[in-house]
Amino acid sequence: MTIPEGVFVDGRTVADVALDGKGPWVVKAQVGVGGRGKAGGIGFAATHAEVVEFVRAHADGSIKGHRIAGFRVERKVDFVHEIYAGLMVDAAARAVRVMLSTQGGVDVEEHAADAMLSAVAAPDEASLVVAAEGLLAHVAPELREPLNAAFHALIDAFLRFDASLIEVNPLFVLADGSWVAGDMKLAIDENALPRQPEVERIVRSRPQAYRESLFKLEHDFDYVGLDTHGQIGLLTTGAGLSMMLIDEMRQASRRPFNFCDVRTGQLRGSPARLIEVLRQFTQGSDIAVVLVNVFAGITDLGEFAQLLLDALDAVPELGVPVVARLIGNNFEAARRTIEASGRAIVVESDLDKALQIAIERAGVTA
Amino acid sequence: MTPFHLDPTAKVLVQGATGRMGSRHATLMKRYGTNIVGGTAGASARRDDSDIPLFANCAEAVAATGAVASVTLVPPLDVLRAVTEALDAGIELIVSPSEGVPVRDAMTAYAMVKERGAHWIGPSTPGLAIPERMKLGFIPDVSLKPGSLGVMSKSGTLSYETCFRLASRGIGQSAWIGVGGDPVKGLRFAELLPYFQQDAATRAVLVLGEIGGSEEEDLAAEMTRLGFNKPVFVLLAGASAPEGVTMGHAGALIQGGRGTIQSKTRALRDAGAEVFTSIESLVEGAARRDV
Repeated sequence: MTIPEGVFVDGRTVADVALDGKGPWVVKAQVGVGGRGKAGGIGFAATHAEVVEFVRAHADGSIKGHRIAGFRVERKVDFVHEIYAGLMVDAAARAVRVMLSTQGGVDVEEHAADAMLSAVAAPDEASLVVAAEGLLAHVAPELREPLNAAFHALIDAFLRFDASLIEVNPLFVLADGSWVAGDMKLAIDENALPRQPEVERIVRSRPQAYRESLFKLEHDFDYVGLDTHGQIGLLTTGAGLSMMLIDEMRQASRRPFNFCDVRTGQLRGSPARLIEVLRQFTQGSDIAVVLVNVFAGITDLGEFAQLLLDALDAVPELGVPVVARLIGNNFEAARRTIEASGRAIVVESDLDKALQIAIERAGVTA
Repeated sequence: MTPFHLDPTAKVLVQGATGRMGSRHATLMKRYGTNIVGGTAGASARRDDSDIPLFANCAEAVAATGAVASVTLVPPLDVLRAVTEALDAGIELIVSPSEGVPVRDAMTAYAMVKERGAHWIGPSTPGLAIPERMKLGFIPDVSLKPGSLGVMSKSGTLSYETCFRLASRGIGQSAWIGVGGDPVKGLRFAELLPYFQQDAATRAVLVLGEIGGSEEEDLAAEMTRLGFNKPVFVLLAGASAPEGVTMGHAGALIQGGRGTIQSKTRALRDAGAEVFTSIESLVEGAARRDV
């Protein structure tokens, strides 16, 4: 896909960078969030001096909470049409939605309802090409050739990288009938990373940009930091139940530190995952209590209790009380193991009671 | 497509029956009373210690046993192949518990399932069960109890916890179906509603939903369309999830202001459901209704 000629700069390099030829220039803040243009993240500059001015004014800024990583300085594209083109997974249709609007650009969302054409198709090249061609029948004849070429490129990338979304907005169509991707978003399916080595390489090369994807890649379970001032650390298994616990803590005006789903069924005798989560808690300044929750359908709680003790031993700097809600397979062995350790861990089999204890502990501030 | 139905005596195959998960759960399902008639295994699998008959592939297993349902206990990247093999062998109901199936594989599998008129549950689900009759997957025994509540859930653990508390208060289940936490799946909430409508053993329905997607809103529309007249109890997880962040389940994601708890709550309440905000309040609400 052709993108505008350009160069990456930041506040330090912008003055010395060589800009080929004449402007005008477009300066784009590099940030992983949509709506950048409306938030003031795109500048227009007639001269190199104006480029420097825009970059220096925004270099330490952020957009919608995302820090600006740098800027791309591009020669302004002389276009005839501004188009939106995209493909995304449509969960309700259980298929791919192919989308096209001839009113692309920063206002695409305002126009979406009346201007967006779309069709669903199975996730294979032939079906997607047919769907795209169906949409192109509704646009002006001079747009069909460039947009047909664009859709072939988008379909290829969508399938080749196991994307869940790919969109080009604006997609510039030039007077000579060629097209240029003015900006692009690609969302990848984390579940497909095992067969996408190139995508995995990109995730690994930019740990700050893809923190949660990288965590899952390296540790093979889900962890999301929610609140750096959170009071309750969750060492829990199960996505839905962990989400519900977070909701109930917030209802009680407490601040959960994190979401996690350690998947106790996959620990395979190693405390590594538990240690990883406890280490995250040491970063929290306000953590007052750790809530453990394991509903053991199959997991042996006796084994789990030992792994929990091993993990706590491995992170001695985490000096906060632990409330362990354990229920199910081999509960009594777990209780005995924890009692024998002499550690001040509250063992409780009723989740609501365990949650109340954690909520009370979190309410006690030093 | 024949309407979705559950036959507690259906003959069931386990695909991937010699793997670590497969052999363990094949035994547990059989012990629970499920009519497990065989399993499939890779060519190099050990066969001598299996307590179910093993076959090289689904076609041979179906020819020998007459199986009509299967559980695919295979790694996530092998699920598409397993579903394809089951469909080619004529299997009518496929349950896929695996977490981490690529979304493109799920879309491809669904297109085939639909074309064959079969039914697919999952992926990313503990499966389904009729208490004390059959279990396809690994819903824990301690939460299963015969009763009159039809359960459908996106989350395994939230359903274990909620049904465990309900069961301890004497409220059991007529059938329990985990639709799974992935965005693209086989059967969705709305498509299971006609089953609970016609099922005489179901006197009320429990729905455990999550933020993200439109499944709960679509369920509300289907309740209205069917004139669904049994009580519907709903709990929705993820009210405090930040926009644009995935909470474990790939489907539990709010983007562009869509799929919020507010949208789902409003739609379901308008359709006549009772929507609760905590597990305990739901359990008490259901207990009061004496279902």
